[in-house]
Amino acid sequence: MTNYILKRLGQGLLTVFLTVSTVFVLIRMAPGDPAVSYAGPLATTEQLDAVREQFGLNKPVLEQYWIFLQQLFTGNLGQSYSFQAPAMQVVAERMPYTLTLATASILLTAVVAIPLGVWMSRRPDTGKELGVNVLTIAGQSMPDFWTGIMLLTGFAVLVPIFPASGFATWGGLVLPTITIAILQIALISRMVRREMTANFAAPYLTVARSRGVKNSVLTWRYAMGNSAIPVFTALGTRFAAMLNGVVVVEVVFAWPGVGSLIVRALETRDYPLIQATVLLTALLAVGVQLVIDLAYPLLDPRVRLGKAATA
Amino acid sequence: MSIDTATPAGGSSPLPAGQPARQPSPSAVTKADIAKAGATRRRNAAKWKLIVGTVCTLLVIIPIILAQVLPLPDANFQDLSARRLPPFTDGHLFGTDQLGRDLLSRVLHGGQVSLTIGLLAVLVSGAIGIILGAAAGYFGGWVDTVVSRLLEAQMSLPLLMMLLLVVALFGPSIPVITFVIAIAQWPEVARLTRSMVLVEREKPYVSAARILGLHRIQILIQHIIPNVIKQATLVVLLLLAQAVLLESALSFLGAGPQRPFATWGRIISDGQDYITTSWWMVTLPGLVIVLMVVGVNLLGDGLRDRPRRKKKGA
Repeated sequence: MTNYILKRLGQGLLTVFLTVSTVFVLIRMAPGDPAVSYAGPLATTEQLDAVREQFGLNKPVLEQYWIFLQQLFTGNLGQSYSFQAPAMQVVAERMPYTLTLATASILLTAVVAIPLGVWMSRRPDTGKELGVNVLTIAGQSMPDFWTGIMLLTGFAVLVPIFPASGFATWGGLVLPTITIAILQIALISRMVRREMTANFAAPYLTVARSRGVKNSVLTWRYAMGNSAIPVFTALGTRFAAMLNGVVVVEVVFAWPGVGSLIVRALETRDYPLIQATVLLTALLAVGVQLVIDLAYPLLDPRVRLGKAATA
Repeated sequence: MSIDTATPAGGSSPLPAGQPARQPSPSAVTKADIAKAGATRRRNAAKWKLIVGTVCTLLVIIPIILAQVLPLPDANFQDLSARRLPPFTDGHLFGTDQLGRDLLSRVLHGGQVSLTIGLLAVLVSGAIGIILGAAAGYFGGWVDTVVSRLLEAQMSLPLLMMLLLVVALFGPSIPVITFVIAIAQWPEVARLTRSMVLVEREKPYVSAARILGLHRIQILIQHIIPNVIKQATLVVLLLLAQAVLLESALSFLGAGPQRPFATWGRIISDGQDYITTSWWMVTLPGLVIVLMVVGVNLLGDGLRDRPRRKKKGA
C-alpha cells in the first residue's frame, strides 16, 4: 500500500514536471515579446532592453530553464509581469474561486446525473426514456459559451434573478454552475445508463431477481454497486479536468478563477504567471487523480491496490 | 453452472419448458409481446434516431455546401444603413449584425470553414489514432509502451490551455487549428482501436495467416484493421461533433480562423455585446451549431444501436 502510494506519487510528480517543461519550451517558441506587451508599443529599444534585463529574458534559453528549475524547487516562480506580484501568489488567490465553481458543478452533476441515469436504465428505449435521451444528447451538443450567454441573458438581464458576473454573492455561483453542469449531467447520466443497462443484463442479476430480491435492492445495491467504480472515476476525472480551469465559462461570466487568468496571461505573454498556473493546476489535478485511485478499495472490496499497480 | 442456457427461446417469454411433444403451431409469443420486447424497442429507437439525426444534419449541411450558390448577400459585405435588422426584414432571413452584414450568409460561410476544419481534424485524428492504436495493440512491446505513455501524458495535460497556447504560437490559421484539434482527439480513437486489436490478434485467422507466411504488417493491414475499422469509424463520427464544438470554443476565445470568413464561435462572441438589444445575433448561430451537433450525435447513436444483420466472426 505505501509502496503503491509512493510509486503513484512519483509518477504524478514526473507528469507535472514534464508538463511544466513542455509549457516552458512552448511559450518561448511563441511569437510575441513579453517585453513589448509590458513596456507598451511606444517604448524605445533601450527601454525594451532594460525590461528584458530585468526579467532575465536576455539570457540564453538553457540558462533561463536552469533558473526556472531552481525556482521550481523553491516554489517561487518569480514576479508576474502584469500583476507586479509573485506569480504563485496571484494564482493561489484565484484558485479558491475555481475550486468553488468546480466543486459546486460536480456536486450538482452527481446529484442529478446518477438518479437520471438510473431512471433511464430501468426503462430503456421506451417513449419517455427516448425523450430524456434526446435531451441528454442536446445537453452534450450545446457549446458551453452559448449556453452561458443564453442563461445570462435569460436570468440576469431579462429576468434579473441572479447577478450577471463575478462572485460577489452566492447567487453569482448559480448560473456558471448550471452552465457547466448541463454538459456534465448529459455525459455522466448517459454513462450511468450504459453501465446500469449492462449490469441489468448480467446473469447474476437474473439469479438475484429469481430469488426474490426486491427491485430497489437490485437497482441500488446490486447494479449500482457494480457500476460505482466507472461512474466515480468519470466524476473524479471530470473534476480534475475542471481544476485546470473551466476557461470558457469563466470568461463568459467574468469569474475570477484561474481559467480567465490563463487567458489574460497568454494574451500579455506573462511567462511566470503562465508557468505558475500550469504548475498549480497540474499538481492539483494529479492529486485528485491519486485520491480517486486510493478510494477504489472503499467502493469495491475486490480491488487490491498493490496488485492493480503491477498488473 | 449452466442455468441460463436451458431456455432456447430467451428469458422473457413464458414458454412452458420441458413439455414432451411441442406443437409447431401457434407460439405463445404473440405479436404484441414482440412489439414490447426490449430488442424491438431498441431497434425502433435506433431507427428513429437515425432518421431524425440525418434530417437535422442535412438541414444544416446542405445549405452550408450550397452557400455560394444560394442568393445571399456577401458574408463580409457591410451596409451601415442596415445595421442590426431583426430576422425576416428586407430579405435578411436571420437579420443583420452590428455592421449590417447578413447573418445567415455569415453563418453559412463561417460554417464552411468550421465544417472543413472539423472534417479534416477528424480525418487526421482518425488516421493517427487507428494507425498508432493498431500498432500498439498488435506489436505490443516497446511500441505499446510508447503509445500508452503518450496517451496517459495527454490525459493529464490541461487540454484547452495547451490548445490556446499552440494557436498563440503558430497563429490561428486553418491548418494549425485542424492540427491542434486532431492532436486533442486522437487518443480516443487510439485507445479503442488498441483494445479491439488486442482481442482480434488472438483469433485463429491471425495464426492461420501467419502460418501461410504473411508478413506481420500485411496481416495487420489486410486482415486485422478491416475487422475493426467499422467500429473505429463510428467513434470518428462522434468525434466530428466534438471537433465542431471545440473549434467554436477556440474561435469564441479569439483563437479561431479570421479568414476568409469568421467561424461560428467568433460570430457568437461578436454578437455577445448586443445580446440585450439584438437577441438573434447570438441565439441563431448557436441554434445552428446545436442542430448540427445534435444531428451528428443522434446519427452516431443510431448507427451504434442498429441491429447488425450480417454477423461476421465472433
